[in-house]
Amino acid sequence: MNATNEGSPRSHEEPTIPIHLRPARPADIPALVPLLLRLKRLNEEFDPLLKVRDDAETQANEILRAQLADPKAVILAAEGIGADKDKVVGFVRALVRERPFYTPEWEGVIVDIYLLPLYRRRGVGDYLLREISAALKAKGAGVVTAEFPAQNEIAIRFYAKRGFRPIQLLHARSVT
Amino acid sequence: MAESSSAPVVEGKEPKRKPRSRRSTDAREKRKTDALGRRAVELSQFYQGKVEIVPKVPIRSLADFALWYTPGIAEVSRAIAADPERSFDLTGRWNTIAIVTDGSRVLGLGDIGPRAALPVMEGKALLFKWLGGVDAVPLPIVAKTPEAFLATLESLAPAFGGINLEDIASPKCFGILEEAQKRLPIPVWHDDQLGTAASTIAGLLNALELTNRSIREVRTVLLGAGAANLVTVRLLLTLGHDPSRISVVDQKGILHAERRDVDELMLHNPWKYKVALRTNGGGRTGDLANALEGADVLLAASTPDPNTIRTEHIQAMAKDPIVFALANPVPEIWPEVALQAGAAIVATGRSDFPNQVNNSLIFPAVFRGVLDVRAKSIPDEIVLAAARELAAHARDVGLSPTHILPTMEELDVFPHVAAAVGTSAVQLGIARRHLSHDELLERARAMMGRSTRLVKALARAKLTPKMPSAKALGGKKDQ
Repeated sequence: MNATNEGSPRSHEEPTIPIHLRPARPADIPALVPLLLRLKRLNEEFDPLLKVRDDAETQANEILRAQLADPKAVILAAEGIGADKDKVVGFVRALVRERPFYTPEWEGVIVDIYLLPLYRRRGVGDYLLREISAALKAKGAGVVTAEFPAQNEIAIRFYAKRGFRPIQLLHARSVT
Repeated sequence: MAESSSAPVVEGKEPKRKPRSRRSTDAREKRKTDALGRRAVELSQFYQGKVEIVPKVPIRSLADFALWYTPGIAEVSRAIAADPERSFDLTGRWNTIAIVTDGSRVLGLGDIGPRAALPVMEGKALLFKWLGGVDAVPLPIVAKTPEAFLATLESLAPAFGGINLEDIASPKCFGILEEAQKRLPIPVWHDDQLGTAASTIAGLLNALELTNRSIREVRTVLLGAGAANLVTVRLLLTLGHDPSRISVVDQKGILHAERRDVDELMLHNPWKYKVALRTNGGGRTGDLANALEGADVLLAASTPDPNTIRTEHIQAMAKDPIVFALANPVPEIWPEVALQAGAAIVATGRSDFPNQVNNSLIFPAVFRGVLDVRAKSIPDEIVLAAARELAAHARDVGLSPTHILPTMEELDVFPHVAAAVGTSAVQLGIARRHLSHDELLERARAMMGRSTRLVKALARAKLTPKMPSAKALGGKKDQ
C-alpha cells in the first residue's frame, strides 16, 4: 500500500478529507481494475517474485466481481471531490478470514489500499484504514492485519505509526 | 547538457524535406569534433595533466621552511585548533574547492568511472582558475552508493572552502546534493543542476522581457526531466510561475500525476514525482505536441538530435514563442529552423549560435562570490541572484533577440555575478565574512585578473611549454 509517502509529519486536526468513501459497487469495477493493477505494479518494484501476470487484468475483473458479492469481503471506493467528483480515486479491499487455531477467531486482512498520488499525504490513508477497520469489526473480525511486500518501507512506516506490528512473516524462495 | 531521460514520444511522419545544408552541417560538425578530439589526446599526452600546485609564498632558502613548516607552523595549527573557523584565514581553504565526481555521467559519455572522468575534472579546474581565480582540485572518487559519496564529502570538507559536484547521474545527483548541502558547513554546488538552471533562468527572464511577457502568466513546457530541467522547474516556481501552467515532457510523454509510471517515480525518483504532482494543471496527456499547444516557452534539455523538436511543434505554440534547445553538442532543433517556424527567440547550448546558455557564465563567478564571503551554503536565493545578475548584465549591454545572455567575451560579467552572489550571501546571513558589494566587485576583479596574469607569466617564462603543433606531436608519439 502507499496511501502516504516519505513519512513527513502530517498536520491534521480532523482535516477535511478530500474524498467521499462508500462501499464499492459492480459498476465501479472498470474504475477499480486500473487502480488495483497500479498497486500490483508498484508491488512488482519491490520483489521479482511479485512480477505481475499477463492476465492480471482479467483476474482483477473476476476477483472484484466475485468479492463484491461475497459477504466475507469488504471493498470501499473513494470518490474524489471538486473536478474529480464521481471519479474513483482510490480504494481499499479486505477479506475476513477464520483463524482456526488462534483467538481472536476472525481476522480482517487488508489486501489492497491504493490512492492516486494527488490524494496522498492528506490524511486519506488514515481515514481509509479507520473505515475499513470499522467495517471489518462489524463483520466479526477481532484483529485487523495488512499484507504488503516486505520491502515496502512506506507501508511499514504507515502501519507502524498506527499501531500495527509484524506478527507473521512470509518468506519465499523460487523453486523453478 | 544532454540529459539521460528525455526524448519525447515522437509519433508519425518524418519532416517532409530535410534541407541538404543541414545534413552537411551535421557531417561538418562531426569532422570538427573528431579533429578536436584527436588534438586533445595529443596535447594531453604532451602536457600530462592540466593543473599543478604552485607555491604562493616566497621560498628564499630552505630556512624559510621553519615558517612554512615546522617548527613555526605549529602555532598556526594551534590557532586553528582553538578556533576552527580560522582555517579560512590561515590556510588556502578559503579559495580551494574540490571538484568531486563518481564518473557516473560524464559529458555525453555515460558511466565511464572516476579515472576516465579525471581529464574532464582537470579541464573544469582550469576553467575555475582562469575565469574565477578559484583553486579547484580535480577529485574523482570511487563511491558505490549515495551514502558512500556523502561520507567521502564529509571527510573532505575540512580541507575545502566549497565542493563542486560534477557529472553525477540523475536522479542520484539530487539526493547527494540535497543531503550534502545539509551536512556540510561549506557551499556545495552541482553544475548540471544549478549552473544550467541558473543560466537558463537568466536567458528566460530576458526573453520574457523582450516579448513582453510576465513569468506569472506564461505557459511553459520543459522537454527532458533530467537534472537541469527539474531544478529549472523549482526555480520557475520560486519566481512565481504558476505550476499548473508548466508541463514537463520526457520520453514517456507528458509527466502528470496519473501517469502509469508515477508510483515507480515515487520510489526511485521522488524529485520527478513531486514535479509530476505539482505541474500540468488541466491534466494534459500525450506527447510534446499536446504539451506545446498554446505554450509560450519551450525549454528543452533532452536529446542531442536536431529532429527532436520539429517545425510543427513550434507552430503549435503561442505567437512569438521562446525556444531554448539546450542539448549538447547538437540542439534539439537547429536555430534557423526554429526561427523559420516562427520562434521569436532561440537559445542553444552552443557558442557558435547567438544566445548561448552556458554554465561557464555562472559557476566560476558563483564560487568566486561564495568563497570571498566564506559562505556556509548556496541556497536557491543565491542561484537566482546569479541568474538575475547575468540577465541584468545582458540588459546593460543591450537586449535583442540575439543577445539575451552575455557572451563569454563580456568578461566583466564574471566579477559582477560574483559580487551579486557574495552580497546575496551576506544578506541571507550565511556569510562568515561581511564585505560590501564594491569590495566584492574589486576583489573578484583582482582575483580573476591575477589568474590571467599568472598563466601569461608562466608562458612568458617558458615554464608552460608552448602548445606544439599537431605535426610536431605526430612525430613524437611514443612507441
